[in-house]
Amino acid sequence: MTGGLVCSRVAVALDGATILRDLDLTVQAGRLTALVGPSGAGKTTLLRALAGLEPLAGGSIVLDGRDLAPIASHQRRLAVVFQEPRLFPNLTVGDNVSFPLRMAGVDRRARRRAAGELLDEVGLVGTADRDPRGLSGGEQQRVALARALAGDPQLLLLDEPLSAVDPNRREGLRHLIAGIQRSRGVTTLYVTHDRAEAAELGDDLALLIEGRIVQHAPPEELFNRPASAVVARFFGASNILTGEVVSGRLRLSGGVTVPVDARDGTRTIAIRPERLALDPYGPLRGRCRTSSFQGTHRRIVVECAGVLLEAHLDGEVTVEPGDQLALSVPRRHVWVLPDAPTPVAVGERSARW
Amino acid sequence: MTIVLFGGALAGAVRASLQPDPFSGAYTLSAWRSVVTDAAFRDAVAFTLVTTVAATVLSVVLALPVAAALRGRAWARTVAALPVLVPHLLVAILAVLWLGPGGLADRLLGGMPLDVVRSRSGVGIVLVYVAKEVPFLALLLLAAWDDDIAAREEAAAVHGAGPVARFRHVVVPGLRGPLTLGTLVVAAFVFGSFEVPLLVGPTQPDTIATYALRVTRIADLSGRADAAAALLVATAGSVLLAVVAGATVRRHRA
Repeated sequence: MTGGLVCSRVAVALDGATILRDLDLTVQAGRLTALVGPSGAGKTTLLRALAGLEPLAGGSIVLDGRDLAPIASHQRRLAVVFQEPRLFPNLTVGDNVSFPLRMAGVDRRARRRAAGELLDEVGLVGTADRDPRGLSGGEQQRVALARALAGDPQLLLLDEPLSAVDPNRREGLRHLIAGIQRSRGVTTLYVTHDRAEAAELGDDLALLIEGRIVQHAPPEELFNRPASAVVARFFGASNILTGEVVSGRLRLSGGVTVPVDARDGTRTIAIRPERLALDPYGPLRGRCRTSSFQGTHRRIVVECAGVLLEAHLDGEVTVEPGDQLALSVPRRHVWVLPDAPTPVAVGERSARW
Repeated sequence: MTIVLFGGALAGAVRASLQPDPFSGAYTLSAWRSVVTDAAFRDAVAFTLVTTVAATVLSVVLALPVAAALRGRAWARTVAALPVLVPHLLVAILAVLWLGPGGLADRLLGGMPLDVVRSRSGVGIVLVYVAKEVPFLALLLLAAWDDDIAAREEAAAVHGAGPVARFRHVVVPGLRGPLTLGTLVVAAFVFGSFEVPLLVGPTQPDTIATYALRVTRIADLSGRADAAAALLVATAGSVLLAVVAGATVRRHRA
């Protein structure tokens, strides 16, 4: 068995309800996998099962060749950064950070030195003797990160660690997590529901839907080459169209055609809204239903041959509801979905039809 | 209202303890001198302290695992609350009926292996208080043993803390405030209470409260002043514990 985390056919049931079923997931040693999914998909449940905080109903979890199932939480040699910092209010910042070392029997002087170094690493120089309750939410989460690293874990689990942090401070903490993970090379599973955050941090992404991993691949794959309509929708490819392909063109109702690279037959395509562009000669013609400025772009919805298309245009473009528009999309940005959604392993390229 | 009632009673007790001289009418400390020099009173103070400490410590030690066992169960607080509603007097009477000479246990076992009721060691008193105070303390702990503590227990677990270390480093510090408060409340109550030692305690030594009752029964009128002085000592002990409890609550809230 190679290093890293290998989950095979993992099943977890809570209060009689099956949350995870036949879940397979591999996190390669030293890499960061971002686990994304909608609320209620089972992300936190999986993380808690990995940490030993929820029992397995089936399957196995192997970390660096060790089967974790019979090992208690405190002996799994992993660390978790939860959504909330969960610091110990009766301990100083430094003692919080060195808590794993104290549990490992490290002497006080060495613990104090290690805590100081870790606090330096997370940008909290000189806070070792402070009360953690006096720190901001972002600072507390940095302490939690330092505490997680203190025990030199074989696996670092992060459960939406930025969700309770002030939006202005998230970016700094995100960069810190990415930097520390790469410099230490610790195998990491990062749970988030934020697609952009997952794409930025993850060496690869795994999408969890209703207790199963539906696609696991590098970020670009999930955004640009989704394995199914569900994956496409989750990663923002909101235009899912089904039609008949004839000689390299997908024919939609109303005679509208879109250029595609696909064999003849019934096919479903996914187009990202930012790939659609205003084009007076474009094949997708229709009336604008809604138009709203979103800060970085303008979002419009166009009714085209009975289908609603979402497009993200330059923010300075002026489009009003009721305007007649024509849109086009380059052939290379039309992704033909596989006939049946199949999980795709990391490193493999999704098959292009 | 509390200050008026409690203060009025206290002032009355102080006045009674300063027994006026029958000839001059001047207040004297003769009752205090009589009580302080009475060996039986000193024994009562020692016995009261021993039973108070034993009952309090045992109650706290047992309440923690009881609360831990009941934690997370919806019905737990109701179950823990039921014994709290039962008066101490009733538990003491049950102890006499079940554990006393000729009682239920005596007949079932063909003789008790040790004296519980009326034992000079005070084991009966301690048992009744433990039976009453363990549910009270467990209820107090369950109310404070909230999701935050549970979340920190998980955090400790995933950072290498086993069950004992979690209990020591997370649970005990998290419950320190209510635990200290509950301990002081129990100690204050046991120190000054009357009915349980009277029913299940030995004839000798007295507790401070039963000593006060006994001295009021002597023919000499000075017994009333002696009883007031003795009860003021018990009150002082209870008030001191209550003040410490109040300070603990304030510090815990800060």
